[in-house]
Amino acid sequence: MEGREKVVIEKSKRPFYSTQWFFLLVAEASLAIITGSINPRFFTLNNMVNILDQISVLGILASGMTLIILTGEIDISIGTNLGLVACVSAMLIKSEVPTFWIVMVALGLAVLNSMLVGISTIAFKAPSFIVSLGFLSVFRGTAFAITKGVFQTIYGKFETLGLTRLWGWFPLSFLIGLVIYIIVDFLLRFTRLGRHIYAVGSNSLAAFYSGISIAKTKLLVFFINGLLIGLASMILLSKIGAAQPTTGSGMELKAIGAVVIGGTALTGGRGNILGTFLGVLLMGIISNSLNMLRINPYFQEVVFGIFIIIALGVSVFSAYFKKG
Amino acid sequence: MSDYLVKVSGIVKKYGGHEVLKKVSFDLKPGEVHCIVGENGAGKSTLIKIISGAVHPDSGEIFIMGRKVRNLNPRLAIELGISTVYQDTEVVDTLSVAENIFLGSEVPSPIPIVVNRRYQNEQAKAILKSLGISIDPDIPVGELPLVYKQVVQIAKALFRQSKIIIFDEPTASLGLEETKALMEIIRSLKKRGMGIIYISHYLKEIFEIGDRVTVLKDGEYMGTYKVSEVDTEFLVRKMVGREVHLFYKRERVPIGEKLFEVKGLSKKELVENVSFEVRKGEIFGIGGLAGSGRTELVSLIFGILKPDAGEIYIEGRRYVPKTPIHAIRNGICMVPEDRKRMAMFLGRDIVENSVVIINELLKVAFLRKKEEMNMTRRLINELDIVTSGFSQLIEHLSGGNQQKVVMGRWLLDENAKVFIFDEPTKGVDVGARERIYQVMIELAKQGKAIIMVSSDMPELLSMSDRIGVMRKGKMVEILDNKDLSEEKLLRSFIGV
Ligand SMILES: Nc1ncnc2c1ncn2[C@@H]1O[C@H](COP(=O)(O)OP(=O)(O)OP(=O)(O)O)[C@@H](O)[C@H]1O
Ligand SMILES: [Mg+2]
Repeated sequence: MEGREKVVIEKSKRPFYSTQWFFLLVAEASLAIITGSINPRFFTLNNMVNILDQISVLGILASGMTLIILTGEIDISIGTNLGLVACVSAMLIKSEVPTFWIVMVALGLAVLNSMLVGISTIAFKAPSFIVSLGFLSVFRGTAFAITKGVFQTIYGKFETLGLTRLWGWFPLSFLIGLVIYIIVDFLLRFTRLGRHIYAVGSNSLAAFYSGISIAKTKLLVFFINGLLIGLASMILLSKIGAAQPTTGSGMELKAIGAVVIGGTALTGGRGNILGTFLGVLLMGIISNSLNMLRINPYFQEVVFGIFIIIALGVSVFSAYFKKG
Repeated sequence: MSDYLVKVSGIVKKYGGHEVLKKVSFDLKPGEVHCIVGENGAGKSTLIKIISGAVHPDSGEIFIMGRKVRNLNPRLAIELGISTVYQDTEVVDTLSVAENIFLGSEVPSPIPIVVNRRYQNEQAKAILKSLGISIDPDIPVGELPLVYKQVVQIAKALFRQSKIIIFDEPTASLGLEETKALMEIIRSLKKRGMGIIYISHYLKEIFEIGDRVTVLKDGEYMGTYKVSEVDTEFLVRKMVGREVHLFYKRERVPIGEKLFEVKGLSKKELVENVSFEVRKGEIFGIGGLAGSGRTELVSLIFGILKPDAGEIYIEGRRYVPKTPIHAIRNGICMVPEDRKRMAMFLGRDIVENSVVIINELLKVAFLRKKEEMNMTRRLINELDIVTSGFSQLIEHLSGGNQQKVVMGRWLLDENAKVFIFDEPTKGVDVGARERIYQVMIELAKQGKAIIMVSSDMPELLSMSDRIGVMRKGKMVEILDNKDLSEEKLLRSFIGV
């Protein structure tokens, strides 16, 4: 058609300083500088590596949580799911079951648990928040029942996953975490399943009209989430060398927090894994700073919570700012 | 006191580097209907969003009832007496009519915190009655036909004692009767001395109720005219910059053998015993009043609703609708009527919104981004979509361009046989409407069967080869589109 100027065909990028990740990076850098100037030990290689080591489990959980939230669902049972899997694995390790089978059982059980949440959510057309709240109790209860509340220690066994340092310094667990981020990022950006995840979260009715199966997409996401929980559970168990029914509880909130701080909308359809990575990193830096600054341990949780709320506020504000 | 309810001047609004309003002026007097016309993306909605405080201009002055207002926001605008009936109607479906009207200003009852429902319902009833409408204020809005969502918003404006009501394409989703009713209501609002800002792509409506009309073109102010002193051609030339015929003279396409057939399709209480056939290259229009079962009929074909009885054949082979993906794989395409609810992926860019169907069909596991860009570029050029780039989010397109994207995604499916368009030009400007008609003719030339549901009489008459008339869930008549007039058609719709 004549008359109208032809469209600008290039990927128009938002200026970098108004993006979510920029806000997060600034927050992280400032926190690091403040802590480092009070306690120079913060900037030692050892401490840096420690931070990475500490956030690997949370990172893997948050990756799964990102997928779940992107589809518009939520799963608050991941912490107790992880705890149950850790207890079962520890008991198997204690009875000298071959490692291969331990891995299989851990992954299988975590997937089963996560799928139960997913299937119930879809079958009952119920909010996943409530469904997973129910399963949260079921998983913890089961863990208590099978361990009879006894601490399951496995000192000296099953250490490879959590304690290996590549080249003598780089934590294997963090490398695994990185690989997971990359895989999830690839999944979201370069596969049709990724598109389905965004589409279902953005507008499930439109997805249905476009021929996308909502149930299939969500179930696949719960499946992946299960795998990641299983993996995280083994790494955690390997790191601390013991498990009890309360292992992992509270992790779900940290994971959700990291995802939301990273800019993923709780309503689904918007967000990415880079944001989650930075959200997780922020959590790691905050925890570490609190230790470095020798904040009274009884008080640390309070300060941690306050930081999270501030981060959330800034994050939401920047998103709002962006909209203009 | 000033003579103007609203007066804005020198309004500039930029999104990124893109200037969507370039020094636009506008004013509104009491008791007048001031229309705004322009192509898709001309900036109409943006202008009224500025007047209603939803968007801040980059520069320019806003006077409301003679008072200069600096930081207008939606709340302040409402307090100053400006109410908006938005393009995408915003009411809460699960709340009752009365609750919607009083939303945000609930009337307390003698018991603290509890809302005085009785009083609200009575008031709502009275307001509705003053508009000449009798509906039970206690039913949830979601259960009412679309027009009532607008009625509810108008009632809300009256309850707030607004002086100014803004309508952004109120009739885009209305049937004939409903449009008529709305025109009546607007006239009565005018008589009360209220000022009305009215946006529509149906120029006929503007000549029916407008007093003055302002034309925007690509964000540029083209002028304000007395409606009585201009005609359609003039307006269209101002808007589009070239000649466009309102009554589209379509090219005839040779019609081939039977391609699609429906026999005795029924669904309890919605559709009853509908039979028709569509041949290759034929455009089969489906008309009828709102609520006559047109959308339900096509939903049955597309596998959204499950039929109770009846058979469907594509190229002589039996096709049993199951799900949309099954329909798509059988060569059926459907552009649904409510783009926001049924088609748009908000928060996602236009590429993702364009390639969603073709990706499902090709079952690609890994995305081919380059290919996706190329396909999107093709649609942008073919349909003349106004966008700032591939990564523009679909909700940031103007209404008509959103429609083009959700329609375009089906055009990438080259093996499709049957195209169903449910209100294809809803919210599309006169120039772009021609473009969409050309696309439909192109499909017909390729030998596809086209089913077009429309509430727009001229559209039905100019585009259809035959018109099936729906009344109360039945297809009462199938008319050959020869010597048909709007009147004749309307009589058949109503059944007199
Ligand atoms: N939030 C936004 N971000 C970026 N661009 C925007 C945004 N909102 C609107 N635009 C752009 O501003 C231009 C004007 O849009 P507007 O919605 O005002 O058009 P309109 O005249 O109402 O069109 P239509 O008849 O299709 O409804 C369009 O090119 C649109 O892409
Ligand atoms: Mg508009």
